[in-house]
Amino acid sequence: MPYHEFQCSKCIPERKKHAVIKGPGEDLTSALPLGYLNTIPGSISERGCAYCGAKHVIGTPMKDVIHMSHGPIGCTYDTWQTKRYISDNDNFQLKYTYATDMKEKHVIFGAEKLLKQNIIEAFKAFPNIKRMTLYQTCASALIGDDINAIAQEVMDEMPDVDIFVCNSPGFGGPSQSGGHHKINIAWINQKVGNVEPKITSDYVINYVGEYNIQGDQEVMVDYFKRMGIQVLSTFTGNGSYDDLRAMHRANLNVLECARSAEYICNELRVRYGIPRLDIDGFGFEPLSASLRKVGLFFGIEDRAQAIIDEETARWKPELDWYKERLKGKKVCLWPGGSKLWHWANVIHEEMGLEVVSVYTKFGHQGDMEKGISRCEEGALAIDDPNELEGIEVMETLKPDIIFTGKRPGEVAKKLRVPYLNAHAYHNGPWKGFEGWVRFARDIYNAIYSPIHQLAFVDISKDEIPTHTRFLTQKMLSDVNLSEEITASNDLREYTGKYDSLTAIRSKTYPEFPSKKELSAV
Amino acid sequence: MENMMKDKIEQLVDYIMKKCLWQFQSRAWDREKQNEGILTKTMQILCDEPVETGTPADKCYWVDAVCLADAFKSRYEWLGTMDKTEIKLLMQGLKDRMDYLTITGSLNEELNDPHY
Repeated sequence: MPYHEFQCSKCIPERKKHAVIKGPGEDLTSALPLGYLNTIPGSISERGCAYCGAKHVIGTPMKDVIHMSHGPIGCTYDTWQTKRYISDNDNFQLKYTYATDMKEKHVIFGAEKLLKQNIIEAFKAFPNIKRMTLYQTCASALIGDDINAIAQEVMDEMPDVDIFVCNSPGFGGPSQSGGHHKINIAWINQKVGNVEPKITSDYVINYVGEYNIQGDQEVMVDYFKRMGIQVLSTFTGNGSYDDLRAMHRANLNVLECARSAEYICNELRVRYGIPRLDIDGFGFEPLSASLRKVGLFFGIEDRAQAIIDEETARWKPELDWYKERLKGKKVCLWPGGSKLWHWANVIHEEMGLEVVSVYTKFGHQGDMEKGISRCEEGALAIDDPNELEGIEVMETLKPDIIFTGKRPGEVAKKLRVPYLNAHAYHNGPWKGFEGWVRFARDIYNAIYSPIHQLAFVDISKDEIPTHTRFLTQKMLSDVNLSEEITASNDLREYTGKYDSLTAIRSKTYPEFPSKKELSAV
Repeated sequence: MENMMKDKIEQLVDYIMKKCLWQFQSRAWDREKQNEGILTKTMQILCDEPVETGTPADKCYWVDAVCLADAFKSRYEWLGTMDKTEIKLLMQGLKDRMDYLTITGSLNEELNDPHY
């Protein structure tokens, strides 16, 4: 097994089995790190907790819901507004956060009364919102508060409200992934099948594992609507609580982030016979294949092809402009989970980037199987890395850019390595054809930022050049390019708008006559 | 001859591993169904045989099979020179290799967890 031992982790020998380098002739049966295990004591992990995974990643993107944490205020504060999952209802779910504000006295005397009071208070403060998700935390779980009973009491007293209880305290798993699992299963057990939806199309899907980061969901739903497909629910970005109670009526589950949401797809397949189709919304080729597959499933592949042709013609010359300038740049692809495999191959093929390392904070071995398969030889794959290991990789592999979260990202910046926020994005959406060009533009801007070039000068020892003038990004990126490329009429920089979403929100869509009688409940 | 077949199988494996996601569902029984369903239907498409699409599950396998068959035909010209018996042999070899890499030889310790 080609395990990789970090110099900085020699004192934690158990870490050795969590990193591998895929060498020549090696495959998944010889190169796969351990994964989804408890963090080894002494390793300063970058993971989140199971409460965070349930609430922050999956629960809170639901847009028409009061998201209440039963616990100390820090739990809800630390899972608030750090991930840009916007919504088309004025970002209600991002604007407010709610907690019962448990204190020491509640740990001694119990906090059920406090919980009930807070639930009622929150519903009264927002009389137009009739749905709530309620999250257990470590503190309330350890004292044994029965939050299901309190939720039921409130629902009995206020018949127009509905409350979902998520019992995923922070200690409920090795990482946030434990929380993803718990909320998936809790949702299908408690809520799916409770609402009968209005069916408006012959072609009905659930869009699962999509969190509308900076509008990703809205871009993808636009494609589906242009194909005449009804998106019954989105689990959960920009998703509506009651739509998600009707997931059992879809014809197909289209799954984007399998890491966080494959559980509910698998259960929908077993319990309701709805098949699961894994798709990729990132990158021209994977996205085209995904739209085509959804089209094929319903026998409307011509509609998918029309979108693919139109969007490719519009945006491919712009993607290629960036590809010419990003070729050969080394990247550490260090996201949380699914993006390591969503991006590993397509950023190499469509942007010319070289992936020198992949890591996952909370992914399972299945994610590493996908990620390692999609990397080229020589890539260093790390499970649950600690900060020192990240620094060691940056010093030895010398990447040109890192795609990661904001905590390790800030560390990278101190080492003068630019980073892009893989979780919340910079100038997203990054899904869709235009979105993929926006991602390429963000990478270009990060690598060739003139300010970043100045950061390479160490004022404590380097001589400060006074004779060089200020260099623009293009002067930096085009210095070694041929005139054929720099003067090309076929290639161009991004020409889209700063705001690519508003136009989508006000769009009207073609009507496709239905072949069968549709149910309207 | 055997080496040539092995080399061709590895080219197809490389394509699947880099471009597809269906082979990596989380449990061994799902991977068995996926490999069997999609690769059998891909073989049937490549050999101009009828393909069963009656159930939603079959249709889902077929969708991935259509895209896979198209990709194989457009990327690997040597496929066009093979007769149907050779294609069947090739696809059986591909399925055996995929089963080994993703199921029987896999180091993924979660594959046999009885729950999702």
